[in-house]
Amino acid sequence: MALLDRADWYDIARDTNWTPKYVTEDALFPEEQSGTLGLPLEVWESYDEPYKVTYREYVRTQREKDAGVYSVKAALQRANFLDQAEPGWVSILKLHYGAFATLEAMASSAESRMARFGKAGGLRNMATFGSLDENRHGQIQLYFPHEHVHRSRQFDWATKSMHTNEWAVVAARHLFDDIMAGRDAVGVALMLTFAFETGFSNLQFLGLAADAAQAGDISFSNLASSIQTDEARHAQIGGPAVKILIANGKKAEAQRLVDIAIWRAWTLFATVTGPSMDYYTPLDRREKSFKEFMQEWVFGQFERTLLDIGLERPWYWDTMLADLDTRHHGMHAGIWTFHKSVWWDVPPGISRAERAWLEEKYPGWEETWGAHFWDPIIARFLKDGPVDTVLPSMVQLCNMAQVPITGTPGWTPGKTGRPLQDFPLEHEGRLYHFGSEVDRWIFQQDPDRYKDHLSVADRMVAGMIQPPTLEGLLDYFSLQEGEWGEDALGHSWLEEYRQEQVQAA
Amino acid sequence: MSTESEPLKPLRTWSHLAGRRRRPSEYEIVSTNLMYDAKNAESPFELGPNIPLSKWFKKYRHGSPLSGRDWEEFRDPDELTYRAYNILQDGQETYIEGLFDQHNELQYDAGLTAAWVATLPRLYTPARYAYHTVQMASHYLVQIVPSSTIRNCATYQAADALRCVSHRAYRTAELKQIYPDSGFGTAERTAWENDTAWQGFRELMEKVLVAYDWGESFVALNLVAKPAMDEALLRQLAATGRRQGDSLLGLIADSEYRDVQRSRTWSTALVRFAGERPENLVVIRGWVEQWLPLAERAIDAYCRALPDSPQAATTATQAVHGFLQSLDLH
Ligand SMILES: [Fe+2]
Ligand SMILES: [Fe+2]
Repeated sequence: MALLDRADWYDIARDTNWTPKYVTEDALFPEEQSGTLGLPLEVWESYDEPYKVTYREYVRTQREKDAGVYSVKAALQRANFLDQAEPGWVSILKLHYGAFATLEAMASSAESRMARFGKAGGLRNMATFGSLDENRHGQIQLYFPHEHVHRSRQFDWATKSMHTNEWAVVAARHLFDDIMAGRDAVGVALMLTFAFETGFSNLQFLGLAADAAQAGDISFSNLASSIQTDEARHAQIGGPAVKILIANGKKAEAQRLVDIAIWRAWTLFATVTGPSMDYYTPLDRREKSFKEFMQEWVFGQFERTLLDIGLERPWYWDTMLADLDTRHHGMHAGIWTFHKSVWWDVPPGISRAERAWLEEKYPGWEETWGAHFWDPIIARFLKDGPVDTVLPSMVQLCNMAQVPITGTPGWTPGKTGRPLQDFPLEHEGRLYHFGSEVDRWIFQQDPDRYKDHLSVADRMVAGMIQPPTLEGLLDYFSLQEGEWGEDALGHSWLEEYRQEQVQAA
Repeated sequence: MSTESEPLKPLRTWSHLAGRRRRPSEYEIVSTNLMYDAKNAESPFELGPNIPLSKWFKKYRHGSPLSGRDWEEFRDPDELTYRAYNILQDGQETYIEGLFDQHNELQYDAGLTAAWVATLPRLYTPARYAYHTVQMASHYLVQIVPSSTIRNCATYQAADALRCVSHRAYRTAELKQIYPDSGFGTAERTAWENDTAWQGFRELMEKVLVAYDWGESFVALNLVAKPAMDEALLRQLAATGRRQGDSLLGLIADSEYRDVQRSRTWSTALVRFAGERPENLVVIRGWVEQWLPLAERAIDAYCRALPDSPQAATTATQAVHGFLQSLDLH
């Protein structure tokens, strides 16, 4: 052989730990950046990443991947798919790019934290590729939506969102600062790569690719599956770190970090992916309900991953499974009601046919969400005409998830779902509100980390949002007419119910 | 008030680029205005001002004496994007792979002199540790610099350093196959930690790695330590190698040196950009003067160990000085 195999030299390239002499190990790997819980360099040298790739292989593979994705985009650009796309799909794209493009770029900084402050050579090399991957994901997910900026100002939110205090952005930032940008290297490995990426986003990109193909958006489908292949690789950074922590008496700490991240990822998914799958995706394109997707792909698979690696199911597992019947329906209802507060047009997704599908997938939906949330709105709209958003003064935001506290309307014992309930906590004289016992538990794990933050609702009460009106709030969200969300169907869906009314009369 | 104004109309590009005269390049579309945490000096993260990393960023990013510029306006002169980087480096790695392949075919290593074979595990293959410290230090820049356009440059620089690490690891294994008892793959860590030739660079890089102020980190790494290392470990080692009958070393180094030039291009641009505020130039000069002696000692210790290369240290030092002089910093 004229060229060596990877296995002949791979170990040498990751054998890069040395004993510092001119500075201390603690100075070189300070706890706030490193997060190694006092485990010294030698302990980390057994770190063994399951997915091995060399620099040479990386640049070749990634060049080929980009060549594929960019050429498909170029070939399809003139077809102007988006001009004929169904409104629900366009909303999903706007939501997706606005929520994630800038965060992907930020994830490269978090990967670099592992590449600098991780104590294992293999981890540092894998995170070097991870940092490049996230650099890619940021750039490619800006390049694609930029093509659409002339179509709608809402696509501008792909770069604008994270610079604003729009409520969903605040929620996303709070989450990702907690598990990535504001976490030490070990925290990033466990919370971002092991919990969030292995458990959620890796599968989400698979799902998105499939949904895009269903919707006929070949360009985006290609993009999502290509991103997923990167995700599948760098998501594996965290697993070996979990093993090292467990082997060195830090299982409880590892479990705690993973438990926090899984719940936080769940609340994000219920806000973003849940409404997209069950309400925005055109009915005839729906493969699985959000609940089915989460049960089979996310929770089912991840449960096995957790147990295989030597961790336990999070203590709140059953609470999370039960939440599949409530949280995302509530998030959708809230977002549609206050659609001016987001940067995408919100499809209501409640035609009779869609409701029949919801009832089939979520038995009991009609007698709760249907009868107690949507029917009264429909009746009012039919009587007085559709009214635009009003300031939702009574919404209580969770001080952890930063999203509205939800419950199942019309819920009584025996029905699926759960009641609307605040889980309050008084800490150092301040009263905090939480949407679940898990959110409250997360706060209690490290109150100093969370106690100083003000939710958007707290800011309103504190007089930081002026004037305290709908206009003032939208201004605070940096949303103006032309970019704020409308009913994605322009209320044309009411016609079906008007017909029903006429026939009944 | 928002509601009194006209509805916003779609634009031709991102709103933050729309006011400019030029059409934005692909580079600008995908690289600019992405670092949201750099905007809020009081609380870089949404969690509040008092978490450990908030304090870290307030101190080392926002508290840096290198300041007073809108760093998002910085542009990489090469306008390098991710996809361009991979095209560039895939090409370079195909070239390197060809070199490895051809030289192996010709049983190149078997023809090296015994004296040179004894030198390589002392002065060449341990450089994987040196370049790994550059990889680590560049990754620190990725997270601490104040704009997404600077962050991009540092991201590719970190990857370039892994490229250097990889070449040395590959050659270590290849040489070990022919010279299993010469210390290839076993002697490097000891050399890095104990050999006098390396202690200068080791001390320099350990200290660079804990220079946490973003500005100082950039100056110490990109203007002083990395240039010193590149001149000594790429250029001067290659020159020595050519005189010792090892031309492969130089061929690899020449390809790696292209990455070096890219690093100097953006580093130069960043110094000029920062220097538009004159106080920043004073700060940068101060750091250069502070770090240069350590780097010169490192060059000296390493180059003195290079066989039959009495001019190596002087040449390397002059090259570093020349780079700094081109920036009006020395
Ligand atoms: Fe990503
Ligand atoms: Fe990722």
